[in-house]
Amino acid sequence: MNELAQSSGFSGHNVEGGFDVDRVRQDFPILGRQVHGKPLVYFDSGASAQKPRAVIDAMTEVLEAQYTNVHRGAHYLSQTLTDRYEGVREKIAAFLNAPSENEIVITRNTTEAINLVAATYGRKFLNKGDGVLISDMEHHANIVPWQLLRDEIGIELKVAPIDDRGVLDMDAYAALLDGNTKLVAMTHCSNVLGTMLPGKEIVRLAHERGIPVLLDGSQAVVHSAVDVQDLNADFYVFTGHKLYGPTAIGVLYGKADLLAQMPPYQGGGDMIATVTYEKTTYQEPPYRFEAGTPPIVEAIGLGAAIDYVSAIGMDAIAAHEKALLAYATERLTAMPDIRLFGSAPEKAAILSFVQDGIHPFDTAATLDRAGVAVRVGQHCAEPLMARLGVDGTVRASLAMYNTSGEIDTMITALERARSLFG
Amino acid sequence: MTIAPEKLAQYDEYVEALDLLDEESRFEYIIDIGKRADKTPFPAECMDDAHLMHGCMSKVWIVHDPNGDSHIFRGQSDAIIVKGLVSMMTGSFSGLTSEELAEVTLDHVRGLNLGALTMQRQVGMMAMLKHMQKLSQRSDRTAETLRAAD
Repeated sequence: MNELAQSSGFSGHNVEGGFDVDRVRQDFPILGRQVHGKPLVYFDSGASAQKPRAVIDAMTEVLEAQYTNVHRGAHYLSQTLTDRYEGVREKIAAFLNAPSENEIVITRNTTEAINLVAATYGRKFLNKGDGVLISDMEHHANIVPWQLLRDEIGIELKVAPIDDRGVLDMDAYAALLDGNTKLVAMTHCSNVLGTMLPGKEIVRLAHERGIPVLLDGSQAVVHSAVDVQDLNADFYVFTGHKLYGPTAIGVLYGKADLLAQMPPYQGGGDMIATVTYEKTTYQEPPYRFEAGTPPIVEAIGLGAAIDYVSAIGMDAIAAHEKALLAYATERLTAMPDIRLFGSAPEKAAILSFVQDGIHPFDTAATLDRAGVAVRVGQHCAEPLMARLGVDGTVRASLAMYNTSGEIDTMITALERARSLFG
Repeated sequence: MTIAPEKLAQYDEYVEALDLLDEESRFEYIIDIGKRADKTPFPAECMDDAHLMHGCMSKVWIVHDPNGDSHIFRGQSDAIIVKGLVSMMTGSFSGLTSEELAEVTLDHVRGLNLGALTMQRQVGMMAMLKHMQKLSQRSDRTAETLRAAD
């Protein structure tokens, strides 16, 4: 076992190249509990993933034995915890294969990371009439910040269409890059359909026209290895809590030359170099964008989560989830009353569906009775729901700790819903 | 003021029936109420934005008819479980005056003992109650204005 594996709380689930889901499950304490007298089947990881013991222990350890503020104390605790906190920045950079930890800005979540780019890069570099191009399958977090900017400075929000499988129309995308488009902000993986977008090609086509690209990796980093240098994305954002880490911590990766040109996001402590009443100067990135005491304990938790998934290996996780997706798709497709949305060739383990003649809420409530946790509704993607022509869907979002047996449990519960509501 | 016990007969019936059931049977009981509600057609023209309560997971429409000093409600939803729940609410608290309706509280809703079964927060049973209270008060004010105009 390598050093990383030993320090991550990971005990060798893929020692011989295999992936032992039973051993992975033992690392997640919550998976041992019951709901309504049934074993919990957690298919809502796309909303927020469960936490392995390694994350829980790391956060507890900080709170019990190491806690203080970072970046300011001239005492032992502050110096050691600052080192540990800044070490997380290095882990995040390595996880994304970013060239430098100075390109990693700690935020509260993806939403804040996108708002940060809109408020700083957007206000400085975009002008009235400039276009920001998104796709037709964005989370509200990658729609509303641009609408706020539209209302403030008069940018145009442009939407690249998708086909009925949930695949981005690349010809239409390329055509929309022409004209006034000055920024592309697009999801790397749809939270509703599971579509993995061709990030590298999206960036290449935009860069040919000198247009920078932000990719929303909230779902993508969970399901596959991400390399921001290979993608060549200018900004890449994700959130910690979907990656088996805690809430209230997110990440903005930005290319150094862009971050250097961007003004501060919020003002306060930690982000300044000097302050007088007459003039304040700001820190260099990434600290310029991190006003106030940061989410210290959460950062340590995210670091532990990154260690954990890295020790198992993103490729091993992706392979396990791919097999689960294939099995779930086969079982759902075999049910005559299920309408499955999203059939992109490149797809993460996210399944959105409705049962004919049954409201998604009724389906989800029946699944809940069987201990199966899913999300129901519009998934913070109302425009996509309109595109699909539905009021809402049931979404089963799978993770590394799920099993084919759990998919069988869901199918049995769907059959019960048919008999109850059909 | 207190609500006259006979005015809550339907509510009491629900409380007693649910009390006898285990959680799984309660789930099916609510579905039954939802299905039975379909046998009393809800006016299609009332399934509009004016009667819609906004919720994320399912739609709920409530129609209100004043009857003298008291208020009659009917509810509808596109989800059967929610239709069952809104039927329980409108059935339980129809026939009350607006003053009596104002006396209905979260404790009454909790008294149905539906607990986690109904995902109460998402379904918004309290929101349904508040909506019914608002409709009754608005109706009283309108009646008052009309009487004054006479």
